[in-house]
Amino acid sequence: MNNKTKILIVDDDVDTVELLTKRFHAEGYHTSEAYDGKQALQQVEEYQPDVILLDIMMPKIDGYEVCKRLKGSEDTKRIPIIMLTAKGKIPDKVKGLGIGADDYIAKPFDYRELSQRVRYWTAVRIEVEERLKEIKHLENELIKSERLAAIGQTVAGLAHYVKNILFGLKGGVYLVNEALKKDETDSLKDGWDMVESNMGRISGLVLDLLEYSRERKPEYEKCFPNEIANEVCKLMEGSAKEYDIEIIKDFDPSIGEAVMDPKGIHRCLLDLVSNARDACIFDSNEQKKWVVRVTTFLEDDGMVRFEVSDNGCGMDEEVKKKLFTSFFTSKEGRGTGLGLLNTQKIVQENSGTITVNSQLGQGSTFTIRLPYRDVATSGAMGKESQS
Amino acid sequence: MKKVLVVDDDVDIRKVVSKLVEKSGYITIEAKNGVEGMGKVREDKPDLIILDILMPKESGIRMYRELKSEEALKDIPVIVLSAIPEKSFFRSQKVLDEFAGQSVPEPEAYIEKPEEPGELIALMKKILG
Repeated sequence: MNNKTKILIVDDDVDTVELLTKRFHAEGYHTSEAYDGKQALQQVEEYQPDVILLDIMMPKIDGYEVCKRLKGSEDTKRIPIIMLTAKGKIPDKVKGLGIGADDYIAKPFDYRELSQRVRYWTAVRIEVEERLKEIKHLENELIKSERLAAIGQTVAGLAHYVKNILFGLKGGVYLVNEALKKDETDSLKDGWDMVESNMGRISGLVLDLLEYSRERKPEYEKCFPNEIANEVCKLMEGSAKEYDIEIIKDFDPSIGEAVMDPKGIHRCLLDLVSNARDACIFDSNEQKKWVVRVTTFLEDDGMVRFEVSDNGCGMDEEVKKKLFTSFFTSKEGRGTGLGLLNTQKIVQENSGTITVNSQLGQGSTFTIRLPYRDVATSGAMGKESQS
Repeated sequence: MKKVLVVDDDVDIRKVVSKLVEKSGYITIEAKNGVEGMGKVREDKPDLIILDILMPKESGIRMYRELKSEEALKDIPVIVLSAIPEKSFFRSQKVLDEFAGQSVPEPEAYIEKPEEPGELIALMKKILG
């Protein structure tokens, strides 16, 4: 029964419907009927016909309108419609005006002709459905292979990074062993330093990887964005001073208490400020007076802008292009190549944006914009879940 | 004393390899990419080059081909030390050979990280004597 082709017969003339029903049943089709446009639309939904025979002149909603609606809907537009028209006046609308009927036949019609058309359109329908299935299948395959390619790329990048660390560890261990054999305390230290430094890299990698793979919902709570920026600057001051880098704070006093994601903001700013510091450390222009500037600004459109700029080494086009690519690092192996990616992830999770401006040899500016929700106006209390 | 140029963008790898070179009784020169590496080659005329492949600015693949196409430099032995599989390196060389219409000789040795450091030292000694 299921394999039978289903025909929906739509005509306000009961005799025509009865006649056609009998004939089609005799040929082994399954049928259903509707006597006006409204019923027709309902039947299409419930009966899911393979072919529709549609009379034009009907009460309530006429055939044109039914056809237009069916052809305008993604779900029903591929069901073939054969319009039944009065003899001698096949309207232009049906023929050319593109209400989308697939075929038409004039009344009173020759049943054999109608039967043939129905057979033809059934075949077309089956063919189209098959093709669609095939396309759907290919699409799924493509998505799957793209995902595999992405995983493959990630794993390859990871393996490359770990191989380097492993070689560093092995080198350190080799030096330690040699030193022990020959009782040389000096090179014992060299070797041990290498082991420690490479262990540190593994820890950093694991933390970054976990952070990157974990889906984190912003934890909204009351906080003072300027305070967060200030904390980050304080945290970085020590190591910046070591390299003669000055950290300048430029905070917008109109930013008050807000409901934001303080942990996320802290993490992002820390990453950006330490990047800025590194950009100064890697800068070979010794004559510069290195400065890292941290700016906050409340914008008119209700976003807070956090800006971290430096006058360090800056980036060339190659680096800029790969900036948000996993495992890419310009820090001579010292970065995992995931830091900025994690920052971007947190910013996106907070419905914000991150942009970069950089000139080789001149420095870089990273700008984060996050939705600012003033405690006073939002009326939000304490924690709030992500919308 | 013989000089060994270590070209690697990873500062920790440079440190380790330099120490291994020094322990073996040679002098180290360091460079962090292909551009710097070629500069050091011309300046210091090393007796051996230990070359990484994946580096920013100029990769080891390009530096290697530059080196081999210069008459005065092409006889400096090269040990490639990379986390890139050996097969991938040789395949890429073959492709580049065909593309350039000239064949570049193979490096003296290819060491895939993380090979045992003892292996690198043994090779160095074999090449430099």
